[in-house]
Amino acid sequence: MAAYITRRLALVVLVLVAVSMLVFGVTTLLPANVAYLILGAFATPEQVRALELKLGLTDPVWQQYLRWAGGFVTGDLGVSTLMNRPVGPMLLEALQRSLMLTGLSFVLIAVIGVGLGIVAALRHGRPLDHGVSVATYLGIAVPEFFWAIVVIIVFAAWLGWLPASGYEPLSAGVWEWAKHLIAPTMTLVFGHLAHVSRLTRSSMIEVMQSPYITAARAKGLPERVIVLRHALRNALLPTITVLALDFGRLMGGIVVIETVFAYPGLGRLVVFSIQNRDLPTLQAAILVVAAIYALANLLADLLYARLNPKIRFGRHVA
Amino acid sequence: MPLQLKAGLAITGTILLLGLLAPWIAPHPWDTISMRTRFLAPNATYWLGTDEYGRDVLSRLLMGARLSIGMGVAATLFSLAIGVPMGLAAGYFRGWVDEALMRLADVLMAIPPIMLGLLVLAVTPPALWKTALAVGFVYIPPIARLARSVTLTLANEEFVQAAKARAESTSYILFREILPNAWPPLIVEASLRVTYAILLGSALSFLGLGAQPPSSDWGLMISEARSFLDRAPWIALAPGLAMCLLVIGINLLGDGARERLDPRLKARLGKA
Amino acid sequence: MLIIDDLTVRYRTAGGEIEALSSVSLQARRGSTLALVGESGSGKSTIALAAMGLLPAEASVPSGRILFDGADILTMGAEARRQLRGSRIGLVFQDPFSVLNPSLRIGDQVGEGLVHHRGFTPEAAFERAIALLDEVGIVNPEAVAKAYPHELSGGMRQRALIAGALASEPELLILDEPTTALDVTIEAQILDLLEDLRARRGLTMLFISHNLGVVRRIADEVAVLYAGQIVEQGATEDVLQRPAHPYSKGLLAAIPRIGRKTARLAAIPGRLPDLRQPPTGCRFAPRCPFATSAETLRETPWPVQADADVVKSPSPATQAATAEPVVAVEHLTKSFVLGRGTLRFEGWRPVRDATRIRPVDDISLTIAPGEVVGLVGESGSGKTTLGRTILRLVEADSGVIRIGGETVSGKPQSALKVMRRTAQIVFQNPDSSLNPRKTIRELLGRPIARFSLAPAGEIPRRVDELLDLVRLPVHYADRYPHQMSGGEKQRVGIARALATQPRFIVCDEPVSALDVSVQAAIVNLLADLKDRLGVAYLFISHDISVVAHLADRVAVMHHGKIVEVGQADAIMSAPSHPYTIRLLSAVPRVDGPPHVQPKAGRAAAVPA
Repeated sequence: MAAYITRRLALVVLVLVAVSMLVFGVTTLLPANVAYLILGAFATPEQVRALELKLGLTDPVWQQYLRWAGGFVTGDLGVSTLMNRPVGPMLLEALQRSLMLTGLSFVLIAVIGVGLGIVAALRHGRPLDHGVSVATYLGIAVPEFFWAIVVIIVFAAWLGWLPASGYEPLSAGVWEWAKHLIAPTMTLVFGHLAHVSRLTRSSMIEVMQSPYITAARAKGLPERVIVLRHALRNALLPTITVLALDFGRLMGGIVVIETVFAYPGLGRLVVFSIQNRDLPTLQAAILVVAAIYALANLLADLLYARLNPKIRFGRHVA
Repeated sequence: MPLQLKAGLAITGTILLLGLLAPWIAPHPWDTISMRTRFLAPNATYWLGTDEYGRDVLSRLLMGARLSIGMGVAATLFSLAIGVPMGLAAGYFRGWVDEALMRLADVLMAIPPIMLGLLVLAVTPPALWKTALAVGFVYIPPIARLARSVTLTLANEEFVQAAKARAESTSYILFREILPNAWPPLIVEASLRVTYAILLGSALSFLGLGAQPPSSDWGLMISEARSFLDRAPWIALAPGLAMCLLVIGINLLGDGARERLDPRLKARLGKA
Repeated sequence: MLIIDDLTVRYRTAGGEIEALSSVSLQARRGSTLALVGESGSGKSTIALAAMGLLPAEASVPSGRILFDGADILTMGAEARRQLRGSRIGLVFQDPFSVLNPSLRIGDQVGEGLVHHRGFTPEAAFERAIALLDEVGIVNPEAVAKAYPHELSGGMRQRALIAGALASEPELLILDEPTTALDVTIEAQILDLLEDLRARRGLTMLFISHNLGVVRRIADEVAVLYAGQIVEQGATEDVLQRPAHPYSKGLLAAIPRIGRKTARLAAIPGRLPDLRQPPTGCRFAPRCPFATSAETLRETPWPVQADADVVKSPSPATQAATAEPVVAVEHLTKSFVLGRGTLRFEGWRPVRDATRIRPVDDISLTIAPGEVVGLVGESGSGKTTLGRTILRLVEADSGVIRIGGETVSGKPQSALKVMRRTAQIVFQNPDSSLNPRKTIRELLGRPIARFSLAPAGEIPRRVDELLDLVRLPVHYADRYPHQMSGGEKQRVGIARALATQPRFIVCDEPVSALDVSVQAAIVNLLADLKDRLGVAYLFISHDISVVAHLADRVAVMHHGKIVEVGQADAIMSAPSHPYTIRLLSAVPRVDGPPHVQPKAGRAAAVPA
């Protein structure tokens, strides 16, 4: 198991290094002259040249990359060309807000999604199952930003219960804080529930038809024991992987949702930095998202291995 | 034919047809600005109302259908064109080819699709065809992975050994023996991928990195309508609902086709 | 104990309603073993499920009763039925690989019936499970109880399943093909175990099998099932030695017997009737050679069709002396890396220890033109790998391969075209070996085109000839594989191998996936083709009886080595290697002296 974890961790690091190269490579292609951005449009070519030399922008790309990556490892994420302040603290703040949003959504998605999936599978072919299926079809079909707009139209414009956008820190009062979280969370949950519940349903149905369930029936076990002890454990294994993938999807989802709800998190920061050619911020933000995503996947793999005896013990008794 | 497939065909077919015929059946010009007709609620002349520039929402919607479908299909074709050969090669040759291609896929999959799309699009001034390309690029890894797993299963089949036993070339084995059997699951996956592509593409347009004004791309329409949700919600609702209908239609089509997949093949390929 | 009375079961399927069982009546007396014998599609597994009250939702039971100890299982409440299952009736399934829950420990699965039927605590049930595992002959029961299913071999799993079925001391044990997935030596151990358990516990057993040899070893009475009907029922020796019904006769005649070599096996022509519209009257009539005659059936043997145009090729023995062998391999070795150990360092050098298996280990073998060499071995012995390594479908690590006088080892794949024409292969599973997206014409035409054996215009005629050669109607050329039966598909597989006019064919378990009656027809076809075309076979099979029937010489393979090779008759009558002796004595036979239970009261599990 220790060897397995080490190997997986090494792979994560490799992937992240590759992602950082990709991100850095693509962003250096951006038609943005950093020196111009800093000095303003009226800078003389000599001034630009001098600053470029100072910032090392005339060095070969690989040297720039190494300098950038080195800074990243030591915690120096560079300085935002737009805001003119260090990227690190800015990013951390946005990250905290985004994790609040995605964490809350993730818990809701996992609990409701898995629950709906199991219930639908056990009522396979009955009205409840069909109801869940139709609802999840809608969930998959509706783009997130449209959900967001529907939520705004209904809860903000029509009912007037929730603010249409923005963010309030906890210090402004619990209700103020929560009010601004409800709408984006609701939107994220709507949009992502379907994957989890559909997969849980299909894997549960598949497991319930497997020979070892028939064998458990042949032992005369009560249905409750068959579902909880024999089926659930095996049926949830693939769901774990999908939950991890979904965490990644959520990290993507916040790009749109935070933009619509003007929620000052990581997603909005990414869009903002692209629109304004703020390279240091963009590079750091995407790398952080990739890291979170990779760690979520790693965690899922480890959990999967923990629950799956075939991976947990690589031994043969006989 | 199962109901699912029928419904899917009907919905997708209708939207496709309306989109293709849009220039001839649209009741009003889609791009003529008229300040006198701004923010009209749906009525007998403007069935779906007008937008902030006084343009007919229905006409814009119809013109937008071809953009959305075209973008989705083009993006999927692009990812198939690159992903399928990649997956075939990885699954058939195994070894370092497999390792290299799949690690590459890992790297691309480590960034959420929308951010990867943003990253790719950030390099150049936005345009819809670039969005299609970016979306297609983003969905290469999942297509390649599916093609690989299907190929892995098929490469173990004895008919591949039989082909080797009569000295067939590698390209014959890949394209004449394996590929015809890999198509059904790939086609089903591709049809579902079209919906992902439409959703992702419209999200990118929504963020301003796809179609540009005055285009009537649905994502862009919704994005532009955002500022008027309290005054004129129909401008956003019309393209939003149209997109839902389209995605549901294609999903039904794909799921229906999956049900009809040769059951023996399906059993053999497992959940690939 | 168990009485099945006039039971009819129908299944709703996409293609219409199928009558799987038609008024079947059976009786298993207390303390005896009743065997149900039939080929696939006969409905024998449906009986097991019905007796357990486990029929799927698509099944309906228009008539019949299943009485267990006087109570009708079909009409009692679901809860009462559940109380019976696993408590008074135990069930052992065919495939020990999929009926154990992969994520629960063996001990928990063996003991869990006790928790729910006998009120044991989980701990006590686990303790009891260890005792049960010990009783079914598992050597280290504590360790096995704590193991997960994937850590055990097939034979061990089957023992664990039997232990689980026995946990609540049932009176009736239903066994559905309990040894079919296992090797013969393991099968023999499991049969010994069952005999022993029955004697000690006074069990009643309903034993379902397709294998008449196995049935003879274990059953007091036997019922023969055909197309959902019982065609014959009686004491085992009676039915097996003096079958009354033509189907039982045909079935028995189709089995190759060790030590009684015949030129051809008896095959049953035709196929199962369509159970969507079961024929009235005798369902076997369309395939029955006695249907129109009034002979006294018990005395009349099943007719064996002699092939009309058999031209006996010169005896392989004399040929071998004169001609160069068509295949010769020397010191052939192939190993695979199973898994790699953890990374460690020797000084600065990273090292990973590899676990290797060597399925082909220094093997030398020659095959003369027109000779059939049978290759016998159990699963994992390396016989399939050997066959494929000879044809260079798998690349050898070392060794020399000569085919048709040409040294093919060491040449690049692109230089093997002559060899590929000379040497062909027939596979085990016709579902996998025929590309499902190609018609028979395409499948058979391709090798002819590939080797330019005929101008394009000639190919359709050649395809017709090939179909004729394997006795398939010419109009089959336009069919797809899924439109044919298993036996027909295997004929196409053989025709495809013959298309290049090879001198040597590797037959890799070509009849293992087929029912006995179909198997006989394919074995006969292979024998005829050899005689007519003078082609040599390497005939790979786990079934010694089939090999003994067809082969001139036999090679016995064990753990990657050929442990014994010699004339087929000599090896069958006087095997010399201990492994061959063990293998031969494990084969359940339908004739000869009845099997004698080994003296040891308990069969101990030999680690696989």
